[in-house]
Amino acid sequence: MRKSICILIVLVFASACKEKATVPKEWVLSKTIQLDGVNPIGLTQVNGAIWLSDGDHNRLVKIDTEGKITETVDSLDRPMHIDAIKETIFIPQYGKDVIETVDKKGRFIMQVSDSLDAPAGVSVYENERAIADFYNNRILYFDGKSWISFGKEGKAEGEFYYPTDVQITKDKIWVADAYNNRVQVFDKKGGFLQMMGQNQKMNAATGIFVSVDEVFVTDFENNRVLVFNKTGELLQVLKDQIEKPTDMMIKDDMLYIINYRNGKLNIFDKQPIVMKD
Amino acid sequence: MKKSIIISALLTLMVVFSAVAQDGKDKFMVQVDGLGCPFCAYGLEKKFKEFKGIKNVKIDIETGDFSFSYPAEKALTLVDVEKQVEKAGYTPITAKVERANGEIEESSASEMTKKSEGTVSKNVMVSGNCAMCEARITKAAESVQGVSAVSWDKDTKIMNVSFDSELTSLEKIEKEVAVAGHDTKNHQAHTDDYGNLPACCKYERLSYK
Repeated sequence: MRKSICILIVLVFASACKEKATVPKEWVLSKTIQLDGVNPIGLTQVNGAIWLSDGDHNRLVKIDTEGKITETVDSLDRPMHIDAIKETIFIPQYGKDVIETVDKKGRFIMQVSDSLDAPAGVSVYENERAIADFYNNRILYFDGKSWISFGKEGKAEGEFYYPTDVQITKDKIWVADAYNNRVQVFDKKGGFLQMMGQNQKMNAATGIFVSVDEVFVTDFENNRVLVFNKTGELLQVLKDQIEKPTDMMIKDDMLYIINYRNGKLNIFDKQPIVMKD
Repeated sequence: MKKSIIISALLTLMVVFSAVAQDGKDKFMVQVDGLGCPFCAYGLEKKFKEFKGIKNVKIDIETGDFSFSYPAEKALTLVDVEKQVEKAGYTPITAKVERANGEIEESSASEMTKKSEGTVSKNVMVSGNCAMCEARITKAAESVQGVSAVSWDKDTKIMNVSFDSELTSLEKIEKEVAVAGHDTKNHQAHTDDYGNLPACCKYERLSYK
């Protein structure tokens, strides 16, 4: 009887260990879509549909699963890193120094506390807003009640050299500090928290996307996307079909990466790591 | 009848010629150092929007070539253009304007020294990445008195330079290129000069034994 109990306990422990073991996975290219006459800079999703900002052609385009344009928003002035919440798309217009919103109600200019000089990226999170203000080398952040501004030109912690993208998460603000070739992370008071990617020899870290577990950064000139964990440890370098990447997002557990120059949308999925001999 | 046709044809030609030669626009062509991505190109474009009346803006982020046309009556100078490029955060390398009246002006571009009998041609390795690097390397080498032709291949990293051996030497040319921020086979660029290069031009430094 005692022997059976011991065996049972061992089996229970073994079973528990088995459940906890996770299979290591990595991002693998599964599909590339060639866009028709689009040089994308930003992407977002609304009701499951993909929207791209086409900076060279001053428009936003909605595409279907094959990359065909199904809807267009025209008369923009260099739309950059866009974002969306519910059915509203937020569009930083680099050439016009405004953030414009587009939804079924129409097009409106977002009220901002200060004048912008080439807004390159916008992020929306619940009732919070953040803007990467390129030529002013700062981030403007709205906590739902008031705006704050943080950052200035420089290379030290908390300083920027042409920030091009920003993302708000639950308790942090993540900034693509493009020409300092790094990512900087701040609390919601604008206090510096951490830096990542500064040792990866990036050349223009122009886009950022933060998921639950990972941080994705476009290394524009080196034709790479770097994947970090939240502490800044490099997990993976994506190169397959990546050429002048500008932005990323995750949709339905797939990673979408856009190429600016050749107008490609690359879709990666996470697969178990294949051990090579 | 034949006479009137000829006169009409001549008049038409004169009108066309006049329209082509004097459309009232000066055409500016600038090569800009530091452009590498759409953010830079759009930024340059944005700063030039301050020039009311600017048209036909074209920017090639690969080569740094920037061109636009501007009303001739406003008499925009090359100095104004170069200052605006600097205001946008970039460096003008060369600038040229074709005036509506046919006159051509160029910025302080050094005139190439004519090839002389003492001309030699040499190859040397120079570090760099891109078309911007190419423009900077060739400009630096051309600034040396006696240099008549320069080319640099971004794939092979080889600079071919022709120069009058009585006026200069390969060593002097390499030193000048290094001052511009680029390591050469025999001369390493100063850290500050390398540090001043735009991000897209930050090549892998050479190691010297």
